[in-house]
Amino acid sequence: MRALLRRELRLLKQDNWQLALISYIPLLGFMLLWWLFSAGLPRQLPVAVVDQDHSSVSRMLERSLDASPVNQVISFTSQSEAIAAMRQGDVFAMVTFPYGLRRELLLGQQPQIDIRYNGQFLLVGKLLSSQLSLSLADGLRKLSRQSLIAHGVPAKLVAPHIEPMTTQTTALFNRNTNYVGFLVPPILVALWQLLAMLIFANALNKELKPERWQQSYQVGWWPIIAAKSLIYLPILLLHGQFMLALLYGYLGLPAAQLLWLLPVQLCLLLSVGLWVATIFFLLADSARVISFCTALFAPAFAYMGITFPTAEMPELAKLWRLLMPSSHYMEAQISLVSYGNVALMWQQCAGMAGFLLLLLPAMLLAYKRRPQNVAAGVGEPTS
Amino acid sequence: MNYWRWIVTDLLAIVRDKAIALTLFGGVLFYSVLYPLPYIHQVATEQAVVVVDLDNSSLSRQMIRYADANAQVAIVARANSVTEAKAMIDRDEAKGILLIPEGFRRDLLRGKQVTLGFAGDASYFLIYSAVVRGLTTAGLDVSGQIQLQGLLAHGVLPAAAAKQVAPIALNDVPVFNQGLGYPGYVVPGLFLLILHQTLFIGMGILGAGQWRQTGYWQQFSPLTTVCLRVASFTLLYAFFSAFYIGWCFYAYDVGRQASLSQVLLLMLPYLLATAAAGMAFSTLFNRRDLPTQVMLLTSMPILFVGGFVWPLTLIPEPLIWLSQLVPAIPGMMAMLELNQMGADWQQIMPQWLQLWGLCVGYLLLAVWGVRRRQQALSAT
Repeated sequence: MRALLRRELRLLKQDNWQLALISYIPLLGFMLLWWLFSAGLPRQLPVAVVDQDHSSVSRMLERSLDASPVNQVISFTSQSEAIAAMRQGDVFAMVTFPYGLRRELLLGQQPQIDIRYNGQFLLVGKLLSSQLSLSLADGLRKLSRQSLIAHGVPAKLVAPHIEPMTTQTTALFNRNTNYVGFLVPPILVALWQLLAMLIFANALNKELKPERWQQSYQVGWWPIIAAKSLIYLPILLLHGQFMLALLYGYLGLPAAQLLWLLPVQLCLLLSVGLWVATIFFLLADSARVISFCTALFAPAFAYMGITFPTAEMPELAKLWRLLMPSSHYMEAQISLVSYGNVALMWQQCAGMAGFLLLLLPAMLLAYKRRPQNVAAGVGEPTS
Repeated sequence: MNYWRWIVTDLLAIVRDKAIALTLFGGVLFYSVLYPLPYIHQVATEQAVVVVDLDNSSLSRQMIRYADANAQVAIVARANSVTEAKAMIDRDEAKGILLIPEGFRRDLLRGKQVTLGFAGDASYFLIYSAVVRGLTTAGLDVSGQIQLQGLLAHGVLPAAAAKQVAPIALNDVPVFNQGLGYPGYVVPGLFLLILHQTLFIGMGILGAGQWRQTGYWQQFSPLTTVCLRVASFTLLYAFFSAFYIGWCFYAYDVGRQASLSQVLLLMLPYLLATAAAGMAFSTLFNRRDLPTQVMLLTSMPILFVGGFVWPLTLIPEPLIWLSQLVPAIPGMMAMLELNQMGADWQQIMPQWLQLWGLCVGYLLLAVWGVRRRQQALSAT
């Protein structure tokens, strides 16, 4: 075993790319993706305002739009210019105060304010839509208040008159609806899974050289794979823990529990390893193994169910996502980090037990690929 | 061998190489189904919400019915206390809570303001926004109705009462992706990125396999070789692009506002710049299994820095500058503006020229790289 470990380390030392994959690429990747989203809370998003009324009311509403930290009002004189800016993505929403707004309001004719928001940039568009309604409602409340007081309603009764029901909305597990807490953990997990896949695939691909291939069957695959796992699993676990430390330690994202994530991370890595081993014995060609694994794991993020809820996926997608270790892992992580529910976490984690079934095709394929001149029995992967 | 035969040889080399064929033909087809598959139901509906009704009055039951009638919310259970409801969330049995406080009806009748409590699981933002949106709409409806009843009771005419409840109407409409569907949001940019990444991988594997062996790639001068290979990949990708932008965009009902000639005019420098960059990139590799790995790791950063998933105004400036060197970045944005958001050709001119600039720049780099490869091979 010690000889195998030493051989593995020697192979690792010769391979600059593999060295990069286990050392600086994960760190750079994690930091880069976090940096990209580091703004966290969308602020100062450009919004076009076309004021065709030029009245005290429209100016007041414009001020109340500008007062929201999410919007940054950019005034346009004509609607066509604002539309052009919308089409170019320079502004994400457009508010039009129509001509005669104040007059119609005073006459009680219910004027209409047009809001157009960019649905193509879904995340920004949805956010702006609710923010614009909120800040306009705030401005309108001021108007109603004045008119009610003028009509002799006592100040104490004004608020229930305007708004008999108020609401208090709580974002559970992510109090300030921070996008870092929402997007960055699954993205980093997806990246980490890709790294694990590449590292395992590269480690196995080392055995594809003709002379080593034969040797591997003589030594037996179990000790070889065990040696590889002994070296790479701890390194990958370290990456996983670094990821958690970055997110929940340094960035201080809320976490109910973290302790139990270590065994879940190990389960994810083992599942990825089983996938890679199966594909390795299926194709036995370095470039093709990588291509196939890439095709399998690249869309994992879309199937995690974080951005788009799992319940809304079609049946086929629900089946496919079960094949991805990361979807099980991410559910387990949310059960633990958000809900602090260890039992649920183990339940989600148990889904990964299904990946043990991959052992069968892997062993079968390994047996089929044994070199002809190696005596039967010695070459069996179970030796 | 003339130029045409060279291109045919190159295309045959692509098809016969199983690793490349798997990535190019398999990948392009496979991804066209696999990536949009989770999203084909477009929007999130019927999120499970648990009710904590501490009032148990006619009005609180009306509020619950209104909430349940909303498409985005489904009332799945009643809990007796907030703790109980919270436990249901922790067991993943519900995604949101609607809290109706004690004295809800009584306070409303007495003209006191009441506060409804909403909560949603913000570990999932689409679920959270659906829950909050659904409950807010239901709350506004009930509140509007109470206001209306109050006004009518005071003898205000029905037509006037409706206007008093909402003195100004807000006409809030999404544009470009009007259904706010997820495929329309993700597919256009993502598909261009898939074309970009697979082209890089194909070129990379092909090059890495050839540079250290004598072969047809040495026949012409570096400039001619680069131009010919760019031509052969552009030819191949013209078909892939036609499939993605022509067929898949229709199939997934993604916005298509540009004319055919405009799309062609945009795709030309996009494919040329990508192919030239892919050629320059391929001269860096000796191992056939490396290009895929590099492109796989860069996919997510390129997608997220593209400016449609996460707004450019929030991305750190240095990352944006750096990303401008990747042909996919101006390509994706120009395509979104032109085809999904209906911009004029004038408006995407900067990106179009940038693509041509990148094309020339990478062509020179590729020529330099191929010359070094040819010299290195002849030296041995």
